[in-house]
Amino acid sequence: MADESLLSDDLLRQLVAVGHVDILVGIPTLNNATTVVDVVRAAQAGIGGYFPRARSVIFNADSGSDDGTPDLVRDATTDDTGTVTASRPLRTTQRITTPYHGLPGKGSAVRMIFAVADLLSADAIVVLDPDVISLTPEWIPALVRPVRDTTADIVAPLYPRAPADGPLVTQLVRPLVRAAYGWRLQEPLMGEFGCSRRFAGHCLERPAWGSGAIPDGVDLWMTGEALANGFRPAQTALGPRLLARARTRPGLPDVFQQVMDAVYACLEMHDSYWLTRGPAQPVPCTGTLPGAVEVGPRPDVTGMAQAFARDVVALHPVLQKILSDATLAGVTAAATAPGPLVYPDELWAATVFEFLLAYHRAVMTREHVAQTLLPLYLGRTASFLQQYGSSGPAVVQDALESLGQAFELAKPQAAAQWKKA
Amino acid sequence: MIAGDPLWYKDAVIYQIHVKTFFDSDGDGVGDFKGLTSKLDYLELLGVNTLWLLPTFPSPFRDDGYDIADYYSIHPMYGTMDDFTSFLAAAHERGLRVVTELVLNHTSDRHPWFQEARSSRDNPRRDWYVWSDSDDKYRGVRIIFLDTEVSNWAWDPVSKQYYWHRFFSHQPDLNYDNPAVRQEMWRVMEFWAGLGVDGFRVDAVPYLVEREGTTCEGMPETHEVIRYLRAQLDAHFPGLMLLAEANQVPELVRPYFGDGDEFHMAFHFPLMTRMFMAIRLEDRGPLADIIRRTPELPASCQWAVFLRNHDELTLEMVTPEEREFMYDEYARDPAARLNLGIRRRLAPLLDGDRRRVELMNGLLMSLPGSPIVYYGDEIGMGDNVYLGDRNGVRTPMQWSGGWNGGFSSADPERLAFAMISNPVYGYQAVNVLAQERTHHSLLNWTRRLIRVRRSTRVFSRGTISLLDPPNQRVLAYVRAYEKEQVLVVNNLAGTVQAVELDLSSLAGAIPVEMFGQSLFPRIGTQPYLLTLGPHAFYWFRLRRL
Repeated sequence: MADESLLSDDLLRQLVAVGHVDILVGIPTLNNATTVVDVVRAAQAGIGGYFPRARSVIFNADSGSDDGTPDLVRDATTDDTGTVTASRPLRTTQRITTPYHGLPGKGSAVRMIFAVADLLSADAIVVLDPDVISLTPEWIPALVRPVRDTTADIVAPLYPRAPADGPLVTQLVRPLVRAAYGWRLQEPLMGEFGCSRRFAGHCLERPAWGSGAIPDGVDLWMTGEALANGFRPAQTALGPRLLARARTRPGLPDVFQQVMDAVYACLEMHDSYWLTRGPAQPVPCTGTLPGAVEVGPRPDVTGMAQAFARDVVALHPVLQKILSDATLAGVTAAATAPGPLVYPDELWAATVFEFLLAYHRAVMTREHVAQTLLPLYLGRTASFLQQYGSSGPAVVQDALESLGQAFELAKPQAAAQWKKA
Repeated sequence: MIAGDPLWYKDAVIYQIHVKTFFDSDGDGVGDFKGLTSKLDYLELLGVNTLWLLPTFPSPFRDDGYDIADYYSIHPMYGTMDDFTSFLAAAHERGLRVVTELVLNHTSDRHPWFQEARSSRDNPRRDWYVWSDSDDKYRGVRIIFLDTEVSNWAWDPVSKQYYWHRFFSHQPDLNYDNPAVRQEMWRVMEFWAGLGVDGFRVDAVPYLVEREGTTCEGMPETHEVIRYLRAQLDAHFPGLMLLAEANQVPELVRPYFGDGDEFHMAFHFPLMTRMFMAIRLEDRGPLADIIRRTPELPASCQWAVFLRNHDELTLEMVTPEEREFMYDEYARDPAARLNLGIRRRLAPLLDGDRRRVELMNGLLMSLPGSPIVYYGDEIGMGDNVYLGDRNGVRTPMQWSGGWNGGFSSADPERLAFAMISNPVYGYQAVNVLAQERTHHSLLNWTRRLIRVRRSTRVFSRGTISLLDPPNQRVLAYVRAYEKEQVLVVNNLAGTVQAVELDLSSLAGAIPVEMFGQSLFPRIGTQPYLLTLGPHAFYWFRLRRL
């Protein structure tokens, strides 16, 4: 059941007019005027082109934009000046835009989207990022079909990634989720996703919405909720994910802090599941990613390596409180060894798990734990890019697979220590 | 012809009849004019005021009478000319006008004109038809009967040339570039108008004239022919109505009205298709779209609107996605598909769902245009897609549950077409006699509907203003004529719906429901909330008291 208090009377009146829908496309926004029109048009074209018979609604939950985003969503339209026999969706794709209140952030918007989907009995739900400028109509069927045509409850995206693209995902979140939750999910931080009404209904019922971790970590939380509660995951190949450059984004320290907070919150919420979960299983995939991605020149990681070397020495007393002796020795050796920086997979896996245990044991404030891990993450990333920064997709894929296996190997010990803590 | 208002066709509620299968008076298995005359009381009671008859000319019946072999008489199986004129007089006595068929575009290949034309290349009638030494001429022109024809040309082995035919190969097209053909067709019209018919339904209008490098449809010369015939009619039989069959989108049909100097009426084909689409989609989009796209007509002109007729439900003017949808929803049995259409009657198309049948009729009677009721649809008759061509929707009228459904005393094997006899739509279950005895039958409901429709000219002559409520499952509009206003609200969905209507421009009016005369709360400036049951519709006369 939806929490009716989320929904204003005005919104409810609009929902009464829409009625049951087959597909709901949710777009959470906050000052996305430069990009949102293309996202809405792509969504409309995706629905019209691939689900012309579907009852559908595009639902925009806006967090108080002052740049006219809601008006742009409301007015965005594909060309409808064709002749009587021009191709177009058979049913009207309705559009609703509404402000939401409560904690700012994507979590509150997703909660409202789920509540609306629940009330409208939407069979398939898609949530899009309004900042993505590479979104095409084909993303809609890619995210909807696994739900409508198979038994998938949650559809995570697959993006083609160059080696230097998204290291926070490839070096940290992906292998950690794989080891902990036991599913080989490529993009646990789902920028875009599809899901079933069943899953949305489940999420709505969770008490976690009140926790501070959800507003910014909702993507990972949903992944964890799905995997930990037996919902069937799927992955679907989308195109490259390019974000608009114009907007000011949080810096790496803030993003890193958010992700670490979310990772830890999820592991704590779902520990009864992941502590007993066995080896990772593959997740069904639909579609294919392009065989080649634009790799670009090998990135210059000198600054990252220098920061790593410097901070490992400077933070040594803090690291002693977090890392085991063996891991600290390995990290120190990596930081001080002459020649190219090498931060091995096994050492990185141990590092991450021990930091999570530090979160769990509350050896210091979480902010400090995350700040301390950040230079080690830079070192690991520098090591990886130094080795694979200009490699082809197959080589990179093999390297990331090895990393995932290293996390899986490290998990049992970490789980045992988690239970003791 | 009945004298009176020259714009009578604007107020017409038309009933389309196949004489062959309406009522057989002499027991030969074929309906006839005496039989039809005996059923005029039924038609008068139904409430219609105009009868449109399918062709009754002499014919080899390879296209159920649309292949005419003599334009100046009726086929003996339908009776004599005296029977026809008696019928006409009896209809007029009851205030029923009569519209007959005029097939201008082609004749039967058995017509003496064609027999003469093919007899030799220098025969005086040779130029009455369209001939060619090769079948390359007019290349690319679409073939209409895709299921039976592979070319618009057919080889004549007698005169060793190809002749042009837009329909069946046994229906050669007349050559309207020949003035003699135009004059002869005027003589045909003069003949029937002189007998007293009130109008002509003109078959296959767009195809009269061919020109190289074009679609051969709607040529300027075709319009010249029409204007010539219309001018002749106006000069000699003012008030006689011409109704065009031009199976095209309304923008392309509009030219057939000219400046009020071509046709008085034309069928609105896409409106029909989109009514069926909208009710299955439960979305007003397709219907609202076509209403908005329908162009204004000259003041003296009117659309003819219908749900079903003697042909297939055409899907020519839809997108491939829409066609696929319509086939999936309305013709899952491939046998129901014919050419680019669906050969089924109204009730089976709607799965016999009374509420949907009522809603569709409600739309038909309240949208702009003069409505046409296809015989048998007022009682919910079924069809037989296995009879071939479009004969499955032309089966005998079901008058009673008795012998041959009360249609004929002939042996059942001798009937023009076999009766519908399945348990759901068969004559034992669906017939006039039974429904006349049941107050809430579809027949009696249809009588009430037509009575309400005809209680005001707002439906027949009024403007339409579409409302745009947020609920897409609801189609609402205001019809207005002189001082009258009627608000129509239709729930296209099979589920209960709530709708808020912005009626602020009508603030102060009191809605009175037109079927039960129930009063509704006065309209104010706030959104007007209505709830509608599945497929329900309201017609509100707006009173200002």
